Amino acid sequence: MLRLLASTAAAATLAAPLAAQEYPAGSITLVIPYGPGGASDLAGRALAESAGKYLDEPIAVVNRPGAGGMNGARSVAEAEPDGYTLLLARVGMALTPAVNPQASVGWDAYTFLGALEATPMILAVQGDASYDNVEELMTAVAENRGTMTYAASGATAIDGFTVQALLSDNDLDPLTAATLIPYKGGGALATALLGGHVDFLAIAAGSLMPHIESGDMKPLMVFAPDRMDELPEVPTASELGYDTAGQITGWSALYGPEGLPDGVQSTWDEVLGEVATDETWLEQAERRGSISTVGEVDMTQYAQSQYELFRDLAVEFGYIEE
Amino acid sequence: MLTELLTALEAVATIQNFLIMAAGIWAGVVIGAIPGMTGTMAVTLALPFTFYMAPVPSILLLVALYKGSTYGGSVSAILIKTPGTASAACTALDGYPLARQGKAGKALNMALYSSVVGDFLSNISLIFLAAPLALLALKVGPPEYFMLMLFALTTVAGVSGTSLLMGLVSACLGLLLATAGEDMYGSFRFAFTPDMQAGLNVAPVLIGLFALPELFKLIVFRVPPPNRSAEIGDDHVSRRELRPVIKSLLRGSFIGVVLGAIPGIGPSAAAFFSYGAAQRGSPRGANFGKGELEGVAASESANNGACGATMIPLLALGVPGDVITGVMLGAFMIQGLTPGPLLFQTNIHEVYMLFIGMMLSSVLLFGAGKITMRAFTTISKIPASLLSPVVLLLCLYGIYAINSSMFDVVVLLALGVVGFLMYLLAIPTAPFLIAFILGPMIEENLRRALATSRGDPLVLLSSPITWIFAALILFVIGLTARREIKKAQDGKAQPQ
Amino acid sequence: MNLAILRGLGTVAFFALVIWAMIPVYVPRPNFIPGFAPPPDFWPRLVCWAGMALGLVSTIMAVLEQTPPVDPDEAVEATAPVRTLLLRFAAMVAALIGFTLLVDVLGFLLAAMLLTAAAIALTGERGRLAAVAICVLALPFGLDVFFGEALGTQFPAGALFR
Repeated sequence: MLRLLASTAAAATLAAPLAAQEYPAGSITLVIPYGPGGASDLAGRALAESAGKYLDEPIAVVNRPGAGGMNGARSVAEAEPDGYTLLLARVGMALTPAVNPQASVGWDAYTFLGALEATPMILAVQGDASYDNVEELMTAVAENRGTMTYAASGATAIDGFTVQALLSDNDLDPLTAATLIPYKGGGALATALLGGHVDFLAIAAGSLMPHIESGDMKPLMVFAPDRMDELPEVPTASELGYDTAGQITGWSALYGPEGLPDGVQSTWDEVLGEVATDETWLEQAERRGSISTVGEVDMTQYAQSQYELFRDLAVEFGYIEE
Repeated sequence: MLTELLTALEAVATIQNFLIMAAGIWAGVVIGAIPGMTGTMAVTLALPFTFYMAPVPSILLLVALYKGSTYGGSVSAILIKTPGTASAACTALDGYPLARQGKAGKALNMALYSSVVGDFLSNISLIFLAAPLALLALKVGPPEYFMLMLFALTTVAGVSGTSLLMGLVSACLGLLLATAGEDMYGSFRFAFTPDMQAGLNVAPVLIGLFALPELFKLIVFRVPPPNRSAEIGDDHVSRRELRPVIKSLLRGSFIGVVLGAIPGIGPSAAAFFSYGAAQRGSPRGANFGKGELEGVAASESANNGACGATMIPLLALGVPGDVITGVMLGAFMIQGLTPGPLLFQTNIHEVYMLFIGMMLSSVLLFGAGKITMRAFTTISKIPASLLSPVVLLLCLYGIYAINSSMFDVVVLLALGVVGFLMYLLAIPTAPFLIAFILGPMIEENLRRALATSRGDPLVLLSSPITWIFAALILFVIGLTARREIKKAQDGKAQPQ
Repeated sequence: MNLAILRGLGTVAFFALVIWAMIPVYVPRPNFIPGFAPPPDFWPRLVCWAGMALGLVSTIMAVLEQTPPVDPDEAVEATAPVRTLLLRFAAMVAALIGFTLLVDVLGFLLAAMLLTAAAIALTGERGRLAAVAICVLALPFGLDVFFGEALGTQFPAGALFR
């Protein structure tokens, strides 16, 4: 009980000004900008578990969903840059500022601590659909003149861009060649395809793998740098020659508020170095269907390139004018 | 199948599992009963512990917490008009008046019996009807969802009190407030501040609207609710009271099971649906909202009936229907199990263990409910002048903790003021809340349906399910209109 | 002009305000929605038109004195002069606003203690000092510790303690 009181008192009074060399001297809050149970939540909790071991301080995970991830992202960007509030960033943190003029946080309002994982996206149709490859699907889309439907979280969400980039690569109008039907969350998206309420979709692998394994869905293409271990016969977008689609994939990274002290950054460099080869981390990444990229990507550069990619696409597709 | 069941029974019937589930149920009931703390919170809280547990006990713990908290929500709904979860909102409509009449014990017992029966029937359906119900759920597309939810909205007519017009105005306000935040296509509506981009959460709106006006009433008018403690002994539901309720109780369980099996609908909509159906079907329909045990039974049997049924799409299809089953899906994945049709082939042993554990949890729910009820009825001995401020304090902490969001707390307090002003203007708040929860489902599915049909409104009447519900909606509108006309004529015949 | 007429007119005015002043500004119409799909302002407009029509009908009913009587259980009875009632209401609203402002200065815990104290004082409670002390001091502290430990919630600390 004394320990409880002591730690609360410490948290209440001394939260901010701690010397950098003592970092971390208390529990760290990791904000997940999406709801519990999803791919980002699992990634965040896995990171909290693995990194916590090397920090000697617990990492508390907090879900702050809303506004397409911008709600949680903003709470971190505006937090004290002391290293005690960090963000599990997703591709949305680079995408939303690029495509939505109403976005409340810029892509670069952070300190980029490091990349965590790549999460492949899969283009899928119903298991008994008559299309066996992307080409056949695209022919059908072109023939049906816009009446075919696909499910996505929103027009300017990452799983909308996957389909639109593919349409654009096939010289079809990305906005009108197929009709977008918005659904919220991986479960609802998958159900829409399972129930036959839409014709196809291209969303995060995690929500689709169970249905692909059971044969209810047919994977046509993977949005990832390499083929997935679980689906060795399914080609990637780049292999099929789709240049724009080939650049789109999902990812997670660790961000902090802008202006984190150097001490905090070097601590995390060390910790992430340990996490990169941590068995629990790697095993859990595999179970989520993602590929660990800890320590392999220069995050600042990657975030900028992603922002520019989506910015260019948004202008090309006509979402924003410039 | 029998030998498989027996081996599963052997595996699941350990003291350890029993204790885990008992603890989960009881913790769930207590958490659900504390204003501001929700089932989602309980399940999220327990998630990290399950990383270190075996697969079946960890899922059973989460299920136990979910069921416990869904029942627990009714305890605070009845005693202090603070529904612990949105699905207990209709329970408060009749439960709180009952408590004020000195029948808190009766209401709590009725809520418990209904919850346990709903829970039991939903476990049975999960075991025997999972496959057909899951297939039915897949057939429900945007037009069917729209009609179903529109029909659930007709419950508004029943909870409007004396003025149907004001009830409908209240519902319009709720529908409008629900549109704030992120639009389904990705833009933002009514985002006056960046915080508004995320929209308003259900919990602060619900509790602000129901619980805080009671504090305002006490402060402004200083008429404390009558002291109920003397009569708390009057707590048994007699057989005479039980008999007329059974029909609503069973209908509620059935509604809960069917709606719970459809992903995305969840216990709240099921409870509203069932409450509306019970009111229209009951000979004492006019007494609903003034302290009618049948209302408590209808609402509670449906929300717990939906609880077990939300596991149907999760286990049979691998799709989570709400946030809580979303967390459970995460727990399954962490354990290396993948819910979906394959689970029944590859992990049938674990599935049976899960089923047996869930059946056991119905019994545990009864025990935990009885114990907690005793502890919580002492609440009515606390004088109102202290209790209401303490409820406010609990709500402040609970609501802040859900999302670590000061904005949620501001919404809670603002809706408290709005709720009190609505009370002064004799505008009922229950329709506001029902519309607020159902609104997004109605709007989004309407727009989805119209996008799929390229703007053709006939898509809304494109399948037998939609015809049935369209007919039911017309029927209810006709019934309500006839009642209103009759009321107007009575009013003219006997001017007051 | 009685309360029912005012209430009806107020309803009409509110929904009119939303349709003509708020929706055009705060519900932007993105340029990427297909023409046949209902845009974001479709549903709010529909709801507001319905609300305005209901408000009009209730105004007319009120003018014709057709308003149904208020349920006696829920009727508002003035237990003190209206002026006192208004003052109490204003005091409570001020306490709530004060709380939201003080959180930034004093932190969540102290602000919550003050709000609870204010609410208890406003209910007219003047005795039971021990029980009041528990509600105002021990309970918030206990909640702070409980949520902090169990959920890892970090409540706002307040500028004075930074």
